[in-house]
Amino acid sequence: MIELLAQTGLNALYAASYTALVAVGLVLIFGVMGVINFAHGELFMLGAYAIVAVYADWNLPYLVAVAVGMTFVGIVGLGMERAFFRPLRDNPLGGLVASIGFLMILQALVSMGFGVRMEHVPPVTQDVIVITEKVRLPVFRLAVILAAVVLLASLWAFLKKTRFGWALRASAQDPEAAALQGISINQTARIAMFIGAALAGVAGALTAPLISVNPHMGHSVIVTAFIVIIVGGIGSLEGAVIVAVAYAFVHTFVTTFFDGVIADIVGLLLLLAVLIVKPTGLFGSADRA
Amino acid sequence: MTKLAALLGFGAILLALPHALSFSQQEILVFLTINVLVVASYRLLTLTGEWSLGHVVIMGVGAYASALLSKRLGIYVPAAMLLGAGTAAMVALALSFPLFRMKGFYFLIGSFAAGEIIRLLWKRFREPFGGPKGIKKIDPMPDFDIGVYVFDFFEPISYYYFALAVVGVSLWVMWRIERSPVGLTFHAVHWQDRLAEASGVNVRAYRTLAFVLASGFAGLSGALLAHYIGTINPNSFDVEQMVFVLTWTIVGGTATFYGPILGCVVLTVLNEIVLREAGFEQMRPLIYGLIMILSVLFMPKGLESLVRGALSRRNANRKMTGETEATE
Amino acid sequence: MAPPILEIDELTMRFGGLTAIDRLSFEVERGAIHGLIGPNGAGKTTTFNVVSGFYKPAGGEVRLRGETISGLRMHEVARRGVVRTFQHSTLFAELSVLENALVGTHMSFPPNIFAAMAGVDKANRRAARARAEEALDFFGLSRLADELAGDLPHGHQRALGMAVALAARPDVVLLDEPFTGMNPEETRRMMELMVKIRNTGVTILLVEHDMHAIMGLCDRITCMSFGRLLAEGNPQEIRHHPDVIEAYLGGARHVA
Ligand SMILES: Nc1ncnc2c1ncn2[C@@H]1O[C@H](COP(=O)(O)OP(=O)(O)OP(=O)(O)O)[C@@H](O)[C@H]1O
Ligand SMILES: [Mg+2]
Repeated sequence: MIELLAQTGLNALYAASYTALVAVGLVLIFGVMGVINFAHGELFMLGAYAIVAVYADWNLPYLVAVAVGMTFVGIVGLGMERAFFRPLRDNPLGGLVASIGFLMILQALVSMGFGVRMEHVPPVTQDVIVITEKVRLPVFRLAVILAAVVLLASLWAFLKKTRFGWALRASAQDPEAAALQGISINQTARIAMFIGAALAGVAGALTAPLISVNPHMGHSVIVTAFIVIIVGGIGSLEGAVIVAVAYAFVHTFVTTFFDGVIADIVGLLLLLAVLIVKPTGLFGSADRA
Repeated sequence: MTKLAALLGFGAILLALPHALSFSQQEILVFLTINVLVVASYRLLTLTGEWSLGHVVIMGVGAYASALLSKRLGIYVPAAMLLGAGTAAMVALALSFPLFRMKGFYFLIGSFAAGEIIRLLWKRFREPFGGPKGIKKIDPMPDFDIGVYVFDFFEPISYYYFALAVVGVSLWVMWRIERSPVGLTFHAVHWQDRLAEASGVNVRAYRTLAFVLASGFAGLSGALLAHYIGTINPNSFDVEQMVFVLTWTIVGGTATFYGPILGCVVLTVLNEIVLREAGFEQMRPLIYGLIMILSVLFMPKGLESLVRGALSRRNANRKMTGETEATE
Repeated sequence: MAPPILEIDELTMRFGGLTAIDRLSFEVERGAIHGLIGPNGAGKTTTFNVVSGFYKPAGGEVRLRGETISGLRMHEVARRGVVRTFQHSTLFAELSVLENALVGTHMSFPPNIFAAMAGVDKANRRAARARAEEALDFFGLSRLADELAGDLPHGHQRALGMAVALAARPDVVLLDEPFTGMNPEETRRMMELMVKIRNTGVTILLVEHDMHAIMGLCDRITCMSFGRLLAEGNPQEIRHHPDVIEAYLGGARHVA
């Protein structure tokens, strides 16, 4: 029993790592631009397909593929900012709708380019750390967890220590005040969009070898991310990380001991409960919507 | 008088229309008729200012309820349809307690979550919902004869006439509600809920009323769909369908009664007739997505704004000519 | 003496650390025009918000004809006969002037969805319309009935706000700065109308910065500052009250 718990805990930690990357990106975009990016799950999906193309099809090294995926998805994010989030800055519902439209475009393009069937990415490494006979941690999962920690730590350092980071936080608090300080709204929006999208992309790239990649894989990702950012309080990066970890544990344990659908229902009920009791989320105070 | 003539003419066109179409186009026409009810009911929901992402799932509740009632309990299909609509309304009433503690964006997300939960329940419980495979072999409408016309529901034309009647009556009811003091109160709640409340309007009750009514009509459209296609499953009512409803509504515009209907008809004709015939089958979601983005960017007030512009220009012209006549 | 229609009793309202109303007590006589004045930020609008049910007080209570109404929701307070206007022209900007007034008749002629669908609510609709038109007429807005409320000039918007409130035939109206945005001529006419309203038996609680209007209209005035009761009396007493003069001169931007 202890061993099952330990193994499930390790699985949960892995789930927490990519969930946190996706959710933090979504929160960053919301914080700075005030719009919910419904296409965030599809950015994750694009990151995974970057691995399919660069690593599986072209046989380039995996790390190169991850870097390409991250940068490419970040650039897609820049394109989204320029194409519709910027012109729709004063129209949050419009921004939401446009991102839903973009989601469909991405799904269609990927389906046309790769076909709708599942893609299987060859494993990067098969090594497993055997902790006890029944508790095993595949090295690749450990690498994903560590990568997520490093990425989130660098983001944290970037936000706290650099001028851009300061600008991002300032404009998340109050875009107009930040603009008065000489920080261009467009510039902070671009940075936020690039980082947010790149984080979703890298999460997709990192997990691609472990999951089945298909054009519709973004759906469950965005549902999870919604739960996380709303329970955590939209606008709160710390809240997103904490809730991502907590949610991953709840979801993984319920999946292991009951089943996946029940776990999804539990997560959504959690979301509804938080919305009813404290719509601004557990860690949020901002009321921007 | 001219209005009545126009209405009769329009009715005649609707009756004659399927005879000019191919079999597959007739089928599309049935779907279009059902979807008109979906978007019109969606607009009823948005009258109080709330946008839901669960509307298609509520439609599914009507479909599941009607399918199960007729299949399991042997209830006469038209009665099952009405019961399906009632079930959808009741489910909406139950959902309104948690959901209407939220507003705006939170309501949007809350309705999405609630809808997903319902879909997962369909998926999870094979009994009675059939799990991921859903319900198959749903009873078709029983044929009947009204003297001047024999309804043979094997033919899409018959189902089209039936759906047209149901949808027509539903639209007429919704139209009357909107033009009544109840409708005015919906608008009041939308534009200034504080002032409405200070005038003694129970804002929460009116939001709930709009939600429940809209859900009832959505459920009815779901039931119409279920007994036509004969098979439903959780994915028949997924987010992608919701996206279509959202697109039709936004492209059409929500300021007028006919806006969303216009959006639905124009996009469906474009989608099914033009794109499908032109062989762009695979690119349809892509083009839909593009239309969504372009229309929020460049036509934020919807297709209806074009119609309204044209109408007011015509009226202005008429007034001017009228005045010159008077002065002469 | 007749019992007061409205009693504010030890009312307290806090926003986080800020105490916007601090154990405020005063009474409003039936049929009076009662002024509530004080420098900017004194808590007048907040008092209205609590009385009308928009906020729940942190302490104390509000009684209407002896019945506690604090803590009720806004529409429940309205249904007991207390209707308010808003400081910033709050109207249904996208609806016509007549439709605005029609919403005001909501309580007297509650819509019924079944009657509406069956088309058997004609008498009700006609009565509501007559009431709305009467209210517009009273404020001289009849000829603007078909305009969009949002297109009206500011003074007319204030008047329409009052027409919406009065269409409900309340026992007590709370008017928050009804004269802002009106020129002296409009203000003078509005003052006459207010006396007329009072003479029909409606009790008026009035927040206003225009001291000329306040002094000319009110039977009794309550002055508050920093959420507390500062002074109470008739216009003469308030005008010469040292604390009132001090509050308006000392630090306050708004000098009467
Ligand atoms: N919703 C709120 N949240 C926080 N503080 C508030 C809120 N509403 C009012 N306040 C504060 O309470 C105090 C009283 O405000 P209030 O609006 O009642 O003043 P007022 O007397 O109506 O002023 P004015 O004459 O300018 O209208 C002010 O300091 C104000 O900043
Ligand atoms: Mg005020």
